[in-house]
Amino acid sequence: MSKVRLALSLATASLWYRRRVLALVCLTLTLSVTLLLGIQYLRTEIRQSFTSTISGTDLIVGARSGQLNLLMYTVFHIGDATNNIRWSTFQAMEQDSRIDWLIPISLGDSYRGYRVVSTNDQFFKRFQYGNDQALELSRGEWFDDLFDVVLGAGVARQMNHQVDDEVVLSHGGGRTSFSNHTDLPFRISGILAPTGTPVDQAVYISLEAMEAIHVGWESGVAIPGRTLSSDRARARDYKPDSITAAFVGLSQPILTFQVQRQLNQSSEEPLSAILPGVALSELWRMMGQFERALLAISAFVVVTSLIGLIAVLLTLQAQRQREIAILRATGASPLLIASLYSFECVALALAACVFALTLGGSAIYGLSPWFLEQYGIQISLRALNQQEWLLLGAIPIAALTVSLLPAITTWWRSRKLGFGAGSDL
Amino acid sequence: MSTETEQIQASSITPASAITTRQLRFCWPGQVNAPVFPDIELAQGEHLFLHGPSGTGKSTLLGLLAGMLAPDSGSVDLLGQSLNTMRSGARDRFRANHMGVIFQQFNLVPYLSALANVTLPCRLSPLRRARTEPDHDTAAMALLEHLAVPESHWQRGVTELSIGQQQRVAAARALIGAPEIILADEPTSALDADNRDRFLDLLLALAEQRRCSVVFVSHDRALASHFHHQLALGGEA
Repeated sequence: MSKVRLALSLATASLWYRRRVLALVCLTLTLSVTLLLGIQYLRTEIRQSFTSTISGTDLIVGARSGQLNLLMYTVFHIGDATNNIRWSTFQAMEQDSRIDWLIPISLGDSYRGYRVVSTNDQFFKRFQYGNDQALELSRGEWFDDLFDVVLGAGVARQMNHQVDDEVVLSHGGGRTSFSNHTDLPFRISGILAPTGTPVDQAVYISLEAMEAIHVGWESGVAIPGRTLSSDRARARDYKPDSITAAFVGLSQPILTFQVQRQLNQSSEEPLSAILPGVALSELWRMMGQFERALLAISAFVVVTSLIGLIAVLLTLQAQRQREIAILRATGASPLLIASLYSFECVALALAACVFALTLGGSAIYGLSPWFLEQYGIQISLRALNQQEWLLLGAIPIAALTVSLLPAITTWWRSRKLGFGAGSDL
Repeated sequence: MSTETEQIQASSITPASAITTRQLRFCWPGQVNAPVFPDIELAQGEHLFLHGPSGTGKSTLLGLLAGMLAPDSGSVDLLGQSLNTMRSGARDRFRANHMGVIFQQFNLVPYLSALANVTLPCRLSPLRRARTEPDHDTAAMALLEHLAVPESHWQRGVTELSIGQQQRVAAARALIGAPEIILADEPTSALDADNRDRFLDLLLALAEQRRCSVVFVSHDRALASHFHHQLALGGEA
């Protein structure tokens, strides 16, 4: 036991003595461990953030297309709908007793690059994310008037909008649009609380408003004289011809596959009904290839820096001949001398792990608001999970393994060392 | 000094022999027909001066005495125990318990303070720690004071010490815990004449107090007068 203590104290003193050289090695190791652990952490967080974008919805129904496409444009607001579904189809679904609730959504317009989602109050009441969390308003209330708009938290923050501000929507998608619905400005009636999902990155109007602002736009551009003023618009009654998609909640989840099959085989028009969970996991499987490759690359970076560490230790070995000769002459066993290398290597790895945790923790703490703002991904600081602990624990074990190389060569050489062989250097 | 003393007889005052070697021979790899070393018989508390031109195997002989090299033939008995029959681990323990070693230079572990260098043998050998009074730190300080290493340098890194001071710290390390045998491999060769004499006087006086046997290797035959016995290596070559 006292030998172990001696070896530990010698290793500590030796590390401190060589701190200038070893600090660089430790830095390399710290950065690579941060990378490895960071990627693993983000993987888990992004997956979490991904799978929590939608919950409680049993089916998403849209025009016939692939399930990923339908998921992307309805939930993530990425890409465009291939086609619309008829209002009559939607009404038929409303009559279906197996369907508990429906959220119609209509896409197409934008506000400064953010999607305009036209829907009804069902969206606010029924849409859920995360662990069945419902939407909440942080300020104001859900739209009531025809020209009311509700902003997602991200939009409000980014555009610095308050309740009662006026906004002008643009026709079509894109950040800069040349055709704006300037004659029919909207009033912000409310702002949603942040969710950390794409819900934050959209604005919400009623289906009727969507119809109203497009009167006179049948050819794709506003035809002067045929568009409405806001007073005339309010006086009219609107009935949408079609919507883009609908979120479906069933009265009994067990009926999901039955309803899905029936909708997919609808003779009225070609529809696609998808299970959001299945589509999300397929999406994640595709991304999974990429993130696994990323993880493998960062593991290689760790291996590379461990090899660098060994290269430095082997270089230092030449300088340590004298010290080894002295320790041998004083009666230290070759095993004790060899163990110095392993202790030093593991100590460096542990230090690198501690630094990496600190660095990674502060990076996540500092960057998570930016992530939320830029990508709508919620990355929170949390305790490491088992997998991450295992990954972290593998670092000192790997360091111990690679340290065997200098340790064994030192052990072998110091056994053969003559009297004061080091002093001849 | 003209006569080469081939064999040293044990002094009648001391009962036990510190070092006894018989017909020692050691070949380095690639070396054939290495000469047989002259036999050594050194009583406890007596000092032996080994001299000879370089290449005559002075360091090899010290390596054999220290148990760091195993002889190809012949025997080494230290304090009545045969090194030949010990395994390498036992030889390491024997060296830690009973031997102090001083090299020509670079004697100190660079990352330890002067004091930690001196107490190193006590941390490797419980026996030597037990022999220090009242504890190893106090004993080390007393030795450093005796050897005139300035107190301001005790806690500092050894690289700041002069060569003479470094050798004296090494002597303190060899002496601490009163080992029975001290092996010194040209410890004065890097010192000037004043320092050399002072070092030798201090080392031998402190060794005398502790009844340590000293085997001192040097090519400087002027030092021989300080020792009870002397032995020349490779004299016939």
